[in-house]
Amino acid sequence: MSDKHIESGEGHIGIPGYIGVFTVLVVGTILTYFVATVDLDFIFPGANTLVALAIAFTKMTCVMLFFMHVYWSPKLIWLSAIASFFWMAIMFAYTMQDYLTRGTGVFGG
Amino acid sequence: MATHAETLEHYHPPGLQHQFEDMKQQEESVSIGMWMFLVQEIMFFGGLFTVYLVFRSKFPMAFAAGSNHLDAFWGGLNTLVLIVSSLTMALTVFYAQKSNRNMQVILIMLTMFFGAVFLGVKTIEYTDKYEHGLVPVTGWNKKVKEDPTHAAAGGEHAKPCWEHDETHTYVNPRGEFQFADCSMAKQAFDEQQQKPNETHLTAAERVGYFSNGQIDAEKFRDKVRIFYWIYFVMTGLHALHMVVGLGLMTWLLWKAWSRTFSHDYFAPVEMSGLYWHFVDIVWIFLFPLLYLLGRHFMH
Repeated sequence: MSDKHIESGEGHIGIPGYIGVFTVLVVGTILTYFVATVDLDFIFPGANTLVALAIAFTKMTCVMLFFMHVYWSPKLIWLSAIASFFWMAIMFAYTMQDYLTRGTGVFGG
Repeated sequence: MATHAETLEHYHPPGLQHQFEDMKQQEESVSIGMWMFLVQEIMFFGGLFTVYLVFRSKFPMAFAAGSNHLDAFWGGLNTLVLIVSSLTMALTVFYAQKSNRNMQVILIMLTMFFGAVFLGVKTIEYTDKYEHGLVPVTGWNKKVKEDPTHAAAGGEHAKPCWEHDETHTYVNPRGEFQFADCSMAKQAFDEQQQKPNETHLTAAERVGYFSNGQIDAEKFRDKVRIFYWIYFVMTGLHALHMVVGLGLMTWLLWKAWSRTFSHDYFAPVEMSGLYWHFVDIVWIFLFPLLYLLGRHFMH
């Protein structure tokens, strides 16, 4: 990754590349909308949300790698970007393992 | 950036601050600083996404009902507007690296234009919520006194809440949060009755939507109200970030106009770009999670 590190201004994807990423983002947005109108619960309950999040993660990856230049950045930047999602995953996981395992009743459920 | 009496021996690039060895070290230091800021921003929004996760897992049908009253057209349009502004921002950095001052100025102005369009659409949406009694703070909605002749005719509370239609007249003397349509709770309740072995209502919903085995419209409304709190706090914080971004862009426009940035020095453009793209990424998640989560229940 860092061996792709380049002199400033060189090696970024250029205008055709930026337009390409932009097209992916627009297609992703339109896809998100139309997938959301189809009931995917026949696969498993909550499949709609999973598909929507998968598209959102793809779009985010495109923005981070190419618009935010992470792809050409030093390893420390890669580490910061990935670590932030790691911390967030910990927050989600520990919060939900609490909430989902509480009993039913006034305070639970 | 002060002017130096430059000799060949003491030459250094015009954008280099004295504490750095060279431009590469300066750029990497500035980048890592900006990324540390963005990481804490991710945690900042992450707390709100956690709140969303907890309450949606407890009351999925109330969230779907609330979400279906948001306008996915405006939300989708705003997503596209932000993506275009991200493109113009990325191109601004590209032209700053090419030392092209005119393209920088044009593209920064375009970025600001699309940022302003985003906030304009947001204003339309918030106004719509205000006029329909969907702002979760009592007194912050449009106040309309009840028409006495209409009240004398018995009102329109005869029908059960799941047969609620949208044609009723808006009456809200104290500007309270209103949500009279509980058809989503009814739908899940009926499915649960037919298939008792499947989970169509979560444990929290079984307690939270019903009184004495009957759907309680007011209890359901209060769960939808949680969704609208989350909607306003998350989109409001995001809009605040857009306002800050527009401020940054104004400063950047002035700097670019006065030919500050070139192939040798463009870190402020790049860093402002990182911020702008981050705000775009937050919206990429907010759009499906807030606007689209209940669409597939609409038949």
